Amino acid sequence: MSFLSLSEWGFKIVIGTLLAAAFGIILGLVFKGIDRKIAAHMQARVGPPIRQPFRDVAKLFIKENIVPENAIPWLFNLAPIVGLIATISILLYLPIGGLNPLFGDKGDLILILYLLIIPSLAMVVGGFASGSPYATVGAQREMIVMMSYEFPLAITIIAIAWRLSSIVGGNVFSLATIVANPLWNNVGLLGFIGLILLLIVLVLVTPGELSKIPFDVPEAETEIAGGLLVEYSGRNLALFYLTDAVKTVVMGSLIIALFFPYNLSPLLGLNGYLASTVDILFYLLKLFIVIIFSVTLIRVGVARLKIDQVVYTYWIPLTLVGLIGLVLLMMDARAFIPLGW
Amino acid sequence: MRFSMVPELLKQLFKKPFTNKFPAKYAPPSTKEFLEAVKKGKIKIVPPVETPPGFRGKINYDREKCIGCQLCVKVCPSQAIEFKPEEKKIRIYISRCTFCAQCTDVCPVNALSMSDEFLLANEDKLAKELIREEKVA
Amino acid sequence: MKTTYTLPIGPIHPALKEPVMFEFEIDGEKIVNVDVKAGQVHRGIEWIGTQRNPIQILYLAERICGICNISHPFAYCRAVEYIADVEVPEKAEYIRVIIAELERIHSHILWAGVAAHEVGFDSVLYLSWRLRENVMDLIEYLTGNRVTKAMFTIGGVRRDITKDQYPKIENTIKYYRENMGKLKHVFLDDKTFKLRCRDCGILTKDNALKLCAVGPTTRASGVKKDVRVDQAYSAYGDLDIDYITPDILTGEVKGDVYDRIVVRLLEVEQSLDLIEQCLDRMPTSGNIAVEEKIPKLLATLKKVEGEGIGRHEAPRGEVIHYVKLTGEEHPYTWKVRAPTYNNILPWIPMLLGEQIADIPIVAASTDPCLSCTNRVAIVENGKKNILTGEDLHRLSVEKTRRLMRK
Repeated sequence: MSFLSLSEWGFKIVIGTLLAAAFGIILGLVFKGIDRKIAAHMQARVGPPIRQPFRDVAKLFIKENIVPENAIPWLFNLAPIVGLIATISILLYLPIGGLNPLFGDKGDLILILYLLIIPSLAMVVGGFASGSPYATVGAQREMIVMMSYEFPLAITIIAIAWRLSSIVGGNVFSLATIVANPLWNNVGLLGFIGLILLLIVLVLVTPGELSKIPFDVPEAETEIAGGLLVEYSGRNLALFYLTDAVKTVVMGSLIIALFFPYNLSPLLGLNGYLASTVDILFYLLKLFIVIIFSVTLIRVGVARLKIDQVVYTYWIPLTLVGLIGLVLLMMDARAFIPLGW
Repeated sequence: MRFSMVPELLKQLFKKPFTNKFPAKYAPPSTKEFLEAVKKGKIKIVPPVETPPGFRGKINYDREKCIGCQLCVKVCPSQAIEFKPEEKKIRIYISRCTFCAQCTDVCPVNALSMSDEFLLANEDKLAKELIREEKVA
Repeated sequence: MKTTYTLPIGPIHPALKEPVMFEFEIDGEKIVNVDVKAGQVHRGIEWIGTQRNPIQILYLAERICGICNISHPFAYCRAVEYIADVEVPEKAEYIRVIIAELERIHSHILWAGVAAHEVGFDSVLYLSWRLRENVMDLIEYLTGNRVTKAMFTIGGVRRDITKDQYPKIENTIKYYRENMGKLKHVFLDDKTFKLRCRDCGILTKDNALKLCAVGPTTRASGVKKDVRVDQAYSAYGDLDIDYITPDILTGEVKGDVYDRIVVRLLEVEQSLDLIEQCLDRMPTSGNIAVEEKIPKLLATLKKVEGEGIGRHEAPRGEVIHYVKLTGEEHPYTWKVRAPTYNNILPWIPMLLGEQIADIPIVAASTDPCLSCTNRVAIVENGKKNILTGEDLHRLSVEKTRRLMRK
């Protein structure tokens, strides 16, 4: 950790945040367009062109922003801004494009877990502040879904960190450490199966975080006419739309950082700027594959579940699978000769 | 765990889409410029699905054969046919027509027939294309 | 202390394809009380009918509903033929049955797609509507238009189905026999569909009989009611037809949403069988209408007197038309009772105790076609009034004046 002067530190924060925000928003919208195009082809349709989400956001920004009479205006307008800011700030702590996280030494995985709650909470607050019965129902549902998926998510993170702690020392929750020591290299057969199970759990938590079918009960279009977002329009809705796009990138990057942090340049023996370019392209390819399997395929393949079925799915089958993965990793650790155990 | 739709979706991903891409694949940024470019011949419109024979489209009126018996005026359900007493011929308002072809069946001299035109959208109810009174050339 | 809140669904809502007003009292997510108010799409069709002659009313009846397009003219023609005492030729009866069964196929597949959309399963919506294109193309080939078929006339049909059109019909039947398996596999075997639809929105046989439900809604609860079998009108008397209840496929009758899906998918296959039987038995020559010259027909209809009732099994249930002619050009009365009118009240026992998430799929499972149900009733101080067009106009003018004064 080098000692930078105050102005250099400020410079890094401002420029870094702007770059991360631009990167997250543009990449998020491009992947949203790709997701829609591929979903359309799966359903035998043509689908919108890939630049469509950009047009959507541009059009939303120029539309009128209506605040309903029953709403609480300051909360109603504040919620989307808070959501977007929190989501962008997560990007500063995640390794993107094969590079180390920008503020990696200032925050780790536990901080990311806490920051992930804030966008959902902003949507809940916005829903309650809307003053419409549909939004109230949607906000109640979002709170319940949040409570249910935190459990399997926590199990996955703890399992990985625990397994890592018996291999290396230091702060096992720090993302730099996790990226530098991919777990696949350090486990035997039992651990391999355990890691696959944990990967499945994390892939199924992602639609819940992002409010996509089958877990999109808070925003069910046909049941409660848009749920949380029913009273939002214009600039506020555009900000929520961007939050959703950036969160997709965040969840994808999280899965890549925990399970597939490999880079291509060491394999090809490249250096310098060429290596960074190849790394970034490989990262985009990995993100594409992760989003296809965890968001698109699940979104078009199944129906929407009811709220009690969502809670059941997260608390009973997925938690069991996660716990079995954790136990398998534990058993694997005893089979290896641990460091300083 | 049967998710019956998933294999179907994966197979469909590699086949051609079912959509008939009429008039263009993606919505043009400006409809007016698109229509002008089509008129000049710069862009070709993808044709719609073919209509079968016997399709009930825009009505054709043969003025020479009409004898002014007013039977079509009586049977039209939406009262879209107007009789012109001074000439003893009729005028048909396509904007009110329901395309039921009842007038076609009732005419004793076969002066009316249905064509296969269906792209009849217009901004003006009484535009020239939507009123039939002369013989089709 | 009141712990429930009121959630209005409708008149305009993404879950409903047509306007109807629901008011729910909800405790958390559980429904405690339901109130239904229909009649938001009143168009005054019956009044327009009393200003037109009987041939023009045929086309008006066709436009009551876009989906059950042939059912209303069919029932109306039967009513008028009863009054005028004409007997429809045999060939025309068979053609009528073929067109009615084609309409049943298209309506049930359309409904299957809409039900899948209500559960959030858009891929099945696109798949079923893709399959439906084939029968729509066939209807366009036979009748000249995809939706408003205009095939019926008093005393017969307007167009013939000739032998060179048979191959196309047989191709369509073959296409559907191959592909219904796919649709059934997706609907009946998929795990998430079963989670949503099984044991949800149950209508017991007792309630179905008491509330006089009709159509697939009541057949799914085990009540054997079908006008085609009970009355054996038109050419149905010659065909091999039986009631379709869910125990043919699953072995038991529960009366929930899943059973209604089963009944409708089985009815599509039954329709394919019926069309094949018609094609075999239809006489190849003969008149297609009692009176082909329309002016003579109009002149005859102007002189008859009497009242008649015509019934038909529409895709949604039994539709009844009542016509009274008194020797003038315009009829004295024309009354339409659509099947959805009977199927609205069963919504109340079906929805009590369910969650909000079940409202769209339960309402959609009875296949409501509210365009057919067009009546306005106001309950004021416990008295019921039926309003006419002039009353509605007066009320709306008064309301505008009230709003302008504010």
